[in-house]
Amino acid sequence: MEKAKISAYQLFVLVLLFELGSALILPLAIGAKQDAWLAILLGMIGGGGIFLMYDRLFRFYPDILPTEYVQKIIGKTLGRILAFFYLLYFAYIAARIMRDFGVMLVTFAYPDTPLFIINALLVIVVVYTVHKGVEVLARSGELLFVLIVVVAVAGFILVLVSGLIDPSNLKPVLEERISSVLKVTLTETLYFPFGETVVFAMLLPYLNHPFKARKIGLLAIGLSGVILASVMAINISVLGVSLTSRSQFPLLTTIQMIQVAEFLERLDIFFMLTLVVAGFFKISILLYAVVTGTANLFQIENPSRLAYPIGLVILILSVTIASNFAEHLQEGLQLVPVFLHIPFQIVIPLFLLTLAFLKTKRKQGQ
Amino acid sequence: MLGFFKKRQKKKANGLNDKRHPEIDWLNTIDASLSINLEIIKEKTGNSPDVIIRELSMGLNDSVRTAIVYIEGMVDDQSIKDFLIESLMKNQNLQEKVTQQEPLGLLKKKAVPFGDVVTGREWDQLFSSLMAGEALIFIDGTAEVLIIDTRGGEKRAIEEPSSQVVVRGPRDGFTEDIRTNISLVRRRIRNPSLWVEPMKIGQTTKTEVAIMYINDVANEKVVKEVRRRLKQINVDSILESGYVEQLIEDQTFTTFPTLYHTERPDAVAGNLMEGRVAIFVDGTPFVLLAPAVFIQFFQSVEDYYTRFDLATALRFLRILIFFISLIAPAAYVAATTFHQEMIPTQLLITVAAQREAVPFPSFIEALLMEITFEILREAGIRMPRAVGSAISIVGAIVIGQAAVQAGIVSPAMVIIVSITAIASFATPSYSVAISARLIRFLFMVAAATFGFYGIILGIIMLTVHLCSLRSFGVPYMSPLAPFTLVNNSDTIIRAPWWAFWQRPRLISGENTVREGSRQKPRPPMNREMVSRSNEKGDSNE
Repeated sequence: MEKAKISAYQLFVLVLLFELGSALILPLAIGAKQDAWLAILLGMIGGGGIFLMYDRLFRFYPDILPTEYVQKIIGKTLGRILAFFYLLYFAYIAARIMRDFGVMLVTFAYPDTPLFIINALLVIVVVYTVHKGVEVLARSGELLFVLIVVVAVAGFILVLVSGLIDPSNLKPVLEERISSVLKVTLTETLYFPFGETVVFAMLLPYLNHPFKARKIGLLAIGLSGVILASVMAINISVLGVSLTSRSQFPLLTTIQMIQVAEFLERLDIFFMLTLVVAGFFKISILLYAVVTGTANLFQIENPSRLAYPIGLVILILSVTIASNFAEHLQEGLQLVPVFLHIPFQIVIPLFLLTLAFLKTKRKQGQ
Repeated sequence: MLGFFKKRQKKKANGLNDKRHPEIDWLNTIDASLSINLEIIKEKTGNSPDVIIRELSMGLNDSVRTAIVYIEGMVDDQSIKDFLIESLMKNQNLQEKVTQQEPLGLLKKKAVPFGDVVTGREWDQLFSSLMAGEALIFIDGTAEVLIIDTRGGEKRAIEEPSSQVVVRGPRDGFTEDIRTNISLVRRRIRNPSLWVEPMKIGQTTKTEVAIMYINDVANEKVVKEVRRRLKQINVDSILESGYVEQLIEDQTFTTFPTLYHTERPDAVAGNLMEGRVAIFVDGTPFVLLAPAVFIQFFQSVEDYYTRFDLATALRFLRILIFFISLIAPAAYVAATTFHQEMIPTQLLITVAAQREAVPFPSFIEALLMEITFEILREAGIRMPRAVGSAISIVGAIVIGQAAVQAGIVSPAMVIIVSITAIASFATPSYSVAISARLIRFLFMVAAATFGFYGIILGIIMLTVHLCSLRSFGVPYMSPLAPFTLVNNSDTIIRAPWWAFWQRPRLISGENTVREGSRQKPRPPMNREMVSRSNEKGDSNE
């Protein structure tokens, strides 16, 4: 574990950027049709609950990384294996997000550039950042967050001003009963993006005031949920349900519709680039978690050096995990939640929490 | 890889150390005999004509032989001639009293009308005093020397600084003389806690360097660190504060300055009050300030003298200017090469029509113009003043008219290059402007290969790089990142003076309180004050 401390505000910014990262660009919870926003909000509430679980675990072991406390809870060998699987899981998610962004860039702006090159450039910047450590990552987050806020506010005003919003697209609310919304929540939004905060278990030990973790985490998850829900509501009200569900990147399609004073049009490039910033932070946080976890697990003295090889692995993974984007989406919506998200985000942490709880109980009893 | 280089460097450094002064091998303390001493001085200084040895005799029957040794030009001529020699030669009273016994003490007490007089007997000390401009008095038969502070000589008068010009504010600037510079700051902060620590750096040049800080305001750790880093310097010469800056900075591989340098005493005083440490180097008007933060380079001393709202607007303007000078050509290249669709149609048609005749891709065009401009600028700075105007005429023709008429570049490109150039001149700190100049080319390459994606990756990388820098342990981007709310009253915004409650927390030590409460000016509580004067009838009405 590197000797570094991040402040509560920095953690807040990182969680927010992480949550928004790739969830903003994708048609999130579109299975719930015009009730997507509701599914996102419900996912957010569930996500808050999941985060409380990670926070409780963190409070049992406030000074050490999860890769280490897993070994304390379920024994050395088993713990190491489990920790290793977690690292693979983080690396896989990082690769998935990189794929999302790479495809977005290829589709919208660089049709002739190979995906590999686009991703490779991003990886260079990510590796450079992770190499500099978590403090630098957090500080850069603080600065670039301002940029994202400015662009987001500008975008919102422009959409509003150009008169694109048609609230009737959002009606009727709950057309197909609550159960279909709940289904989307439980199969999708709960895990992506909210459950993915499991990676912050790797960052919480760096917090300078550990007791603030719960408040800050919940606040960030809440805010990001509201932002995501309103963005999705705006998308649907601008584009309508059918266009939103057919668009690969509905937010950019919405932005493309903006036309103000015959001067401000085709602004999707700017928004795409701003989204790249958010995606960059999501990937960096995941890569950092993998790097610091690997260093901790295999007791490597200089963790920053690991950024290069692991970055390369993620780059290659991002290109090879799916043969095309449809397959990539299919995997993401049907296989990943069941086989990866549910066990790694909910089942295992719950199991660990129970064991840790029992262990401390027994200690107190003695 | 890096470790390997480090090892090699260490070896080199050791080799240098051993060989430095092979010939110096004299007896360490002086002799009692005057002639031997003078011989040694002549030998060591190579009989240089500017080393003046004035022999004279004192006492009854001229029995006591003495000599005054000083260096012409380094000493204050007036005081040597009018006071020192005069008092030694013409003082009748003294002449009678001086005998072979204890002449030194007597001279020191009665005859030498100077403030700072000490005795010494070691050659090292004597030579360093002599070279610094002090006069030595040797007396035959005494193995001790009087060292008299006669430092002076020609120096430039205090003038208006040429590098940081203000409309409103003091007009005095530092000179090349370290003692003048220190006094300029002391005149502004009249407080015994303003401490100055002198030291000599440079094995051969023995340059005077002084660190200055306010004892109960500056962070002790920073002061210690500055002291430690300065003491570690082991080079043969220090000719400008740039030498020191590059030897004590935190990170070498960056284009950004991690120490602030200024020619203005009011800037130094202001920064000392914020808890920074100033490093004065003799022989240069540029004083270093540590620790420096990035936002400081966008602030001008004048911001504090003008109204806060105007100053804030100007600071926003400067940030904008920095971004323009960084990415304007890159954005043009990206927009014309990759993202034509984002340019409004009408404008696109205009630009495309202009570009039709141009034989180069826009990246080459931009590169051509930028390099031409850099050449012009370099020529403008280095040429003698008289030739300068000729260059600006040629430049205007080359960049402006001829290049466009010849169809080599498009008029839009000329506009972009001009805006970039003006922007880079408008950055208040030259050292940041110059690093933006270099990074601009990297952005242009990124834009030419990957359009706006390249630019945004460049911006991310630049931000990460800036965030990774530190200056004497203080994060370079503070107080923006890590964000400290109280200290943001003086970053991009400049809060009114009554709201400057605290010194920058990361820079100054424990003592952060800057001003009393209720500093906000208030209008008179009741209108009586105004109406009373009316009653008396002393108004103009």
